[in-house]
Amino acid sequence: MTGKRLAHIAVAELGKLRTLPVAVMTTVGTAVIGALVAAALTAQLVDHGLPASAAAVTAQAVPFLQIGLILLGVLPMSHEHDGGQLRTTLTAVPRRGLLLAGKSIATLLCLALAASAAVGGVVAATALTGRLLDAPPAEDVAGQPVVGAAGYLVVVGLLAHAVALLVRSLIPALVGTLSLVLIVSPLLAGLTRHARWLPDRAARELYDPTDAVLTAATGTLVMLAWIALVGGIAAVLFVRRDP
Amino acid sequence: MSFWNTFTAELRKAGTLPASWVAVAVTLFGSAGVTVLNAVAARTALDSGAQESQGFFSAFETAYAAVPLGTVGAVVLGVVVMSSEYAANSTDAGGGRQVTATLAASPRRAVLLAAKALTVVLFVGLTAAATIPACIGVARLVIGSGPPETVGLDDALVRSVGATLYWALTGLIALAITTLARSGIIPLVVLIANSSVVSFSLLLTHVTPLAHWLPDLAGRRLFVGLPTVDGGLDAGPGALVMGAWTFALLAVAGIVFSRRDA
Amino acid sequence: MLLIEQLVKRHGSRTVLDRIGFEARPGRVTAFLGPNGAGKSSTLRILLGLDRADGGRALVGGRPYRSLRDPLRTVGSMLDGSGAHRSRTARDHLAWVARSNGIPRRRIGEVLEQVGLADAGRVRVGRYSLGMGQRLGLAAALLGRPEALVLDEPVNGLDPEGIRWIRGLLRGHADGGGTVLLSSHLMSEVAGIADDLVVVSGGRIAAAGTLDEVTAGYASLEDAFFALTGREPGLEPGREPGREQGAAR
Repeated sequence: MTGKRLAHIAVAELGKLRTLPVAVMTTVGTAVIGALVAAALTAQLVDHGLPASAAAVTAQAVPFLQIGLILLGVLPMSHEHDGGQLRTTLTAVPRRGLLLAGKSIATLLCLALAASAAVGGVVAATALTGRLLDAPPAEDVAGQPVVGAAGYLVVVGLLAHAVALLVRSLIPALVGTLSLVLIVSPLLAGLTRHARWLPDRAARELYDPTDAVLTAATGTLVMLAWIALVGGIAAVLFVRRDP
Repeated sequence: MSFWNTFTAELRKAGTLPASWVAVAVTLFGSAGVTVLNAVAARTALDSGAQESQGFFSAFETAYAAVPLGTVGAVVLGVVVMSSEYAANSTDAGGGRQVTATLAASPRRAVLLAAKALTVVLFVGLTAAATIPACIGVARLVIGSGPPETVGLDDALVRSVGATLYWALTGLIALAITTLARSGIIPLVVLIANSSVVSFSLLLTHVTPLAHWLPDLAGRRLFVGLPTVDGGLDAGPGALVMGAWTFALLAVAGIVFSRRDA
Repeated sequence: MLLIEQLVKRHGSRTVLDRIGFEARPGRVTAFLGPNGAGKSSTLRILLGLDRADGGRALVGGRPYRSLRDPLRTVGSMLDGSGAHRSRTARDHLAWVARSNGIPRRRIGEVLEQVGLADAGRVRVGRYSLGMGQRLGLAAALLGRPEALVLDEPVNGLDPEGIRWIRGLLRGHADGGGTVLLSSHLMSEVAGIADDLVVVSGGRIAAAGTLDEVTAGYASLEDAFFALTGREPGLEPGREPGREQGAAR
């Protein structure tokens, strides 16, 4: 019974995102810009005489792609909070725990879609650019880093979603997550080894395994733990507080 | 409609908007925090007697390294000054937007935008005036007064002014883009990314050297003395190019803002 | 005082205002009546310089709104509810509005007192009820002691005491020589205070004149309204008469 309700809510949330222009534009824009970024990176690699493999280009493109996924992760909660729609939603679905679950499922699906499109765009653009520039064919490593990249993008988006659930309003959530991932994280990584425990640093292992302590699996677990922590606090506050 | 009245009203608005002060506080404490981290690293090196260049232990250099990150605060200031006009109120209170009241009070829109621009510059200047000395103080505290300061006062002043100018111009660019888009999402995403290691402009420089003429890259040597990628313009010409971009974007924003419906 | 002449406004291919023209005279309350979507708000927005007209003109004391030096001292308006940002307090909101037109600070306390928000002055607007937001909007309109008041659906959200109060306020303003232009789609509130009536429908003027002139021959203002705007009760705007929804036959 609850399962069926949850499915209904998730589908409704998906419908909201599908019909939200900025969400659609973000998904498409991330894929398009990702492809352009990949083309630029490929050209750069070819210039330096290095093999332009999909894995290498993807690894370099992911930091750019994550920006779009972070925005997409923030939107489902923030567009409702900022636009005053939250009240309508809560009237339709008064059981808030269920609402958050449905919303998160819908967000996860959208992030997966966007991540696949983005990574697909990158791979395609790399191949196309490589062909256009007559680059030497690169031996591609199984494709795991490419799948890992998509996985990373999804969990980073989920982290942004958790932050948005906590702070609700668009600008704080967006600025906060972007600052963490783009500015604070690289900074701390340059200063201390312990930065590996930061969520995005840990999840990096999925597509760029360089760390001594964490593997792709354990890194993902660390990231999921962060998401659970932030999301958990957010959920408790949301369920108990007035909107 | 007098400029002075409009300007002081805009100052009041920005001053009573919580988001502005959050931006100032985050810049101040964020930069201070980063300075502490850098200073601790320097202190550790000092204590362990490691051989570093003299500048490594300079309190000013340690503080100055954190300053480029404060650009994010300037971006947020530039964005919220305009995005707060278009934020819809709760449906409980009527769901209106502030822009209606603002334009009824100050119908000459070019003047209004100029007043907002000056407000952004003032707030950014205030933030810089608080942040840079605070960071230097923090750095000095952590590193201690042992190593001599390698950066002279006039040098420090020039570099501080350069950093403040970069912040101000970036804030104004954020204001212009927010005015055109009526939303802060695009300038936030683009300008924060460009202030970080994930810079679109920097990536473009690998495709064409013309990218060095983009505003954030053109002005990067305003952070005098900080290491940066090769190529591109020197501090002086770079500042002029960045200033030209800012002026052009504000002019376009002003024209569009004046002509379109509220 | 407030003159609308041959105003034309298009949104894409749709003509929202089709040569609207009327006048709001001093010493009188002019009510701008019409169903939803008739073009009332569009007209007022053009009058206050918020939107641009595609033809015709709207003048305040013979001049366009944008050319007024301190517009809030000439025209006080309320178009979009409170018009305040949700994170500011009412006092802070009125403070910047006053500053922008060189209005003295003591007026803030005076208008808050006048609209009955003196206790809620330091509460964030985001927590206001609809009625409180409307009162704040009125307070902002009254700040500059303007000669003319332009109000879009001012009674929206007010309780009976508030409705009586605003009726007294607007009547008093007109009796004192000021101009009042208010738009509404509620006949009852208009019947009590309006001197002149302008009925608009589908972007065109359906009738204009004094209240008595417009309602002559009709049993009530409500009947006159429906007859003039060519609608049968119970329909949404844009539907043809005769095509009612299911049950209400």
